[in-house]
Amino acid sequence: MKRRKMDLAEAPKTFAKGVDDRFQAATPLRGLLNKVFPDHWSFLLGEIALFSFIVLLLSGVFLTLFFDPSMKEVPYDGSYLALRGTMMSAAYESSLNLSFEVRGGLFMRQMHHWAALLFMASIIVHMARVFFTGAFRKPREINWVIGVLLFLLGFFAGFTGYSLPDDGLSGTGLRIASAIMLTLPVIGTWLSAAIFGGEFPGELIIGRFYIAHVLLIPGILLALIAAHLGIVFKQKHTQWPGPLRTNENVVGERMFPRYAMKQGGFFMAVFGVIALMAGMFQINPIWLFGPYRAAEVSSASQPDFYVMFMDGLVRLMPNWQIYIPFGDGYSIPPMFWPAVVGLGALFTLPMAYPWLEARKLKDKRSHHLLERPRDNPERVGIGMMSLTFFVVATLSGANDVIADKFHISLNAMTWAGRIGLLILPPLAYYISVRICLGLQQHDRQVLAHGVETGIIKRLPNGQFVEVHQPLGPVDDHGHPIPLEYAGWVVPKKMNRLGALAPAIKGFFYPVEKPAEIPVSPAVGGPVKREEIKSGR
Amino acid sequence: MTSDTPARRRARVFSRRRGAPSRARRRLGAAVRMIAALALAGGVYTAFAPGAFAEDTVQLSAVAQEGKALYDTSCITCHGRDGQGVEGRGPSLIGVGSASVEFQVGTGRMPMTRQEAQAEQKPPQFDDAQTEQLAQYVQELGGGPELPEGPLVEDIKTNPDALARGGELFRVNCTSCHGFGGGGGALSSGKFAPGLHDATAEQLYAAMLTGPQNMPVFGDNQLTPDQKKQIITYIQLQLQQEKDPGGLFNLGRYGPSTEGMAIFLVGITLLVFTSLWIAGKS
Amino acid sequence: MTAHNGATGEAVDVNDPHLTRFDIVKEGLRRDDIEIITYESQFHGPNSKAEKRVVRNISFLFLLSGLFTLAFLVFYIVWPWEFELGHTMSDYYTPLLGVSLGLGLLALGFAILAWAKKLLPHELSIQQRHGEPSSDDERLITGQTMMFVGDELGVQRRPLLKGAIALGAAPLGLAVGAPLVGGLIQNPHKDKHPIMYTTGFHPSKLGEEAEKAGKKVRLTREDGSPIRPDDVSAGGQMTVYPGIPHGATNHYADSPTLLIHLRADDAAETRANAEADKNGRNKGSMYGNYVAYSKICTHAGCPASLYEQQTNRLLCPCHQSQFLITDNAQPVFGPATRRLPMLPLTVDEEGYFVAAEDYRDVVGPDFWERP
Repeated sequence: MKRRKMDLAEAPKTFAKGVDDRFQAATPLRGLLNKVFPDHWSFLLGEIALFSFIVLLLSGVFLTLFFDPSMKEVPYDGSYLALRGTMMSAAYESSLNLSFEVRGGLFMRQMHHWAALLFMASIIVHMARVFFTGAFRKPREINWVIGVLLFLLGFFAGFTGYSLPDDGLSGTGLRIASAIMLTLPVIGTWLSAAIFGGEFPGELIIGRFYIAHVLLIPGILLALIAAHLGIVFKQKHTQWPGPLRTNENVVGERMFPRYAMKQGGFFMAVFGVIALMAGMFQINPIWLFGPYRAAEVSSASQPDFYVMFMDGLVRLMPNWQIYIPFGDGYSIPPMFWPAVVGLGALFTLPMAYPWLEARKLKDKRSHHLLERPRDNPERVGIGMMSLTFFVVATLSGANDVIADKFHISLNAMTWAGRIGLLILPPLAYYISVRICLGLQQHDRQVLAHGVETGIIKRLPNGQFVEVHQPLGPVDDHGHPIPLEYAGWVVPKKMNRLGALAPAIKGFFYPVEKPAEIPVSPAVGGPVKREEIKSGR
Repeated sequence: MTSDTPARRRARVFSRRRGAPSRARRRLGAAVRMIAALALAGGVYTAFAPGAFAEDTVQLSAVAQEGKALYDTSCITCHGRDGQGVEGRGPSLIGVGSASVEFQVGTGRMPMTRQEAQAEQKPPQFDDAQTEQLAQYVQELGGGPELPEGPLVEDIKTNPDALARGGELFRVNCTSCHGFGGGGGALSSGKFAPGLHDATAEQLYAAMLTGPQNMPVFGDNQLTPDQKKQIITYIQLQLQQEKDPGGLFNLGRYGPSTEGMAIFLVGITLLVFTSLWIAGKS
Repeated sequence: MTAHNGATGEAVDVNDPHLTRFDIVKEGLRRDDIEIITYESQFHGPNSKAEKRVVRNISFLFLLSGLFTLAFLVFYIVWPWEFELGHTMSDYYTPLLGVSLGLGLLALGFAILAWAKKLLPHELSIQQRHGEPSSDDERLITGQTMMFVGDELGVQRRPLLKGAIALGAAPLGLAVGAPLVGGLIQNPHKDKHPIMYTTGFHPSKLGEEAEKAGKKVRLTREDGSPIRPDDVSAGGQMTVYPGIPHGATNHYADSPTLLIHLRADDAAETRANAEADKNGRNKGSMYGNYVAYSKICTHAGCPASLYEQQTNRLLCPCHQSQFLITDNAQPVFGPATRRLPMLPLTVDEEGYFVAAEDYRDVVGPDFWERP
């Protein structure tokens, strides 16, 4: 008996020894435990996408257990009275059933949909962070390209998922997708016929989209996400410039336990927010849409928000059709430009951007330190320009809802979008470049003269001057010696320099008593603060 | 009834002309032509629409008399005497029927406050009894569609299919403008299809029957009274009830546009604040 | 153990019994080229009041999480969830699940986060990146090794092998790809009446005999019942389908048609414009005050069915193309380029609407070959 007890206590040791004998795990494992990660809130935005992808996989698996990707016509006989007896496809019927006949099924469906929206939204936010801080520069160009591909794949995953329930809205989306395929010169009709198995809608498309949505696209997504994370791991995370931080090191905290705990906690928070939204906000009420019928449509028919920019561009496109007058005559419909050429350009241009920028700046070095947006006004301008373009296009994708709710003419909305799409991006470029330059200048000013204290001093000659607190040493005349800009935040307020008393901890009452202010017995009152010397 | 016979009108026109003797000669030809035209119009009108004149002699019912009094104070400016209509201001009301009045006056769209692309819904100016009087008056002026007697909503206990049938009809005929969720939608150049959330059964029925403003008419041969009632049943039981099994907030049932807004305003915002807290210095 | 690249500081003997565990961890960090700059507790001394408070708060969050998750389970099992018409308890099933699970997860998340943030010691570590590329020697060796692989195979020296591989492997590659592509290919122009150019109103859809007998396809409602002219009131519109088997289903997704009964003056204008039609395709297509246009938008294929009976416009809800009914349904706004095709209308001997012939223009969204 005693011997057995000994064994139990020794078990982990024995086990670890056994593992290392076989896999030589000790050294790499230590490296993993010790890996240092930098800490900044903006580095967590990509994690939102990663965690919502995990939620997508979990909830998606649940949904597949009940979904029937068939377009066979069946009469509905479920508990949703307002559709009972209606003929519909088995796909739509099973979507209704998993919403109404499966315990908690509607909750899972809504979680899946909200997680999808969060996935795409966080990719956009993460991408903006990476862009504006220059994190895509060498050696991380490939990871930037993978990121853009992830958005593109998410776009298609989302669209196929939107189509699967085969409700009125998803059928309308499919119809437009088929029309977009038809606009392709030469191969359009052949492509549409190949994908739909003949004339739209046919009876195959849901089955085909299903396998794409649950196997092909998630498989590629998973592989790309693994590569994305693997590259981040291998190349080590970028960091902001600052004290101790150089291009050759990473300053932060070790992966275990703090960093890993933060990641785990954040995963729970992301999961929690998705669950909360899935319970609070109804999403995609397919039971109101009815089964897809080619003759039925609803006002305010829109794709999910991450496809809306494309729909918006299609709405804004003028009706310019190209006729090619030979043979029987051929044509390129206007939708070809925004939906095929536009979409292609919107994905290939960002992919090429890291190389374009490096080429323009003749910059071949590796960068591990981020750049504050203001330090590269050109890039911020381009980013804001693209973002403005995206936002105008996205809003135009919902311009009928905006027109209706804010009592604006629909035609005026279209024209506003057309003009806005041309005028606002350059305007955004100009304004953001100016703002960046202004911020840069202010940084330099503070470094040269010190922080404005808000104290106005009258000189003997009657002149009023504001007293500045120098950030560094002063010369013999009390003038600050100008400091070099280090690429990091310049303190611009006195309380950043510790001019205010430290905050007292505790919400309702102080947790610990603040340290007594030392009282000088000679004066009998608090020690006066040292007079701030003029920085001028 | 102060009837406005062609003869009197003629007299008035003539006497007005006299007020400007210097122009009288120049305009004599025009006046003569006008007299001839009016005489011809009157004659043709008499020949082809004896009913309209017959009504002059037929006494209006008591309710309609009340309605006429209201009409002559509130409606006559745009719709003219006896609902004949005024060119450029208001259409003729001959033949629009009481259903039309029930809808337009009952929802406050009429009387209009000003000429605009589309009459806006507003708190009704007339109460139910007055609306009924006006409706009766317009009905007696020139006939037209009337609301049927009896309940306009099907009882789904006795007729359980009505709801689903109504839903199908709603999606074929109504959603294209009013939306799947009945929230309304934009039409061209500032016009719009209104939301259906606070429409009564009578108003819904009257709207289908008469096609107010830009809404198409759904006559009884196209959508039978039973079918109209089924549609009303669907609207009232399914859309007007705030029955949203998917959550406390239905985001207006606008679909992806408000959902996209929610994910940024709620989801991303919450999580960005969380990440700010996580990485913030304590 | 072997010395690690770039390791700084003095190595210590990890078997020294005087070393604390933290000393050994630091030795590991040294070997991984990591230096801990600061590592200090967030609290003044052990068991300080502040620490106790933080521990209390974190424990409370953990308990709260358990409570909410338990509530989730209870709601999941006990709460009535089956959908019923009218306001019922089941309306709150999904919200309750979401709120309880969401708050449970958030409490757990914030418990872990607070633990990491408030309880663990402050730490600042620096790791060297070692992002420099491989040395020139290494690169040379790897490059030569790869070239040597080529030498070993000797394909360069053996041209016969090269040709044989090309001729032998290429067909295999094609054979793998062919079924993937070939199986999907469908010729959209193969039928006698190609699908892209024919709708359900083509007489051939009635069957060969009926077509030969000169029968025409009726316009029907969704339930298949035929339509007489007086079924549609003036200022009204009706969605109609071809009166053939499955005519109202998605098998004939291009066939839905909007039958409009215009008011007399609008009808006169429409007729005048249809008769003056430039390519003559709309000539004689109206019947009385009735006109029928394809419901399928020429832009992206959505039903362009928002009929404004006073302004006589048809609006497509997907991309806001607007078509003027009185002028051959020409697009007057939005991205659509082509007008909506007009269905030639007439009435059969029983007084029901029939299509005099199929659409003369191609129905549906534009494509390359469309003349």
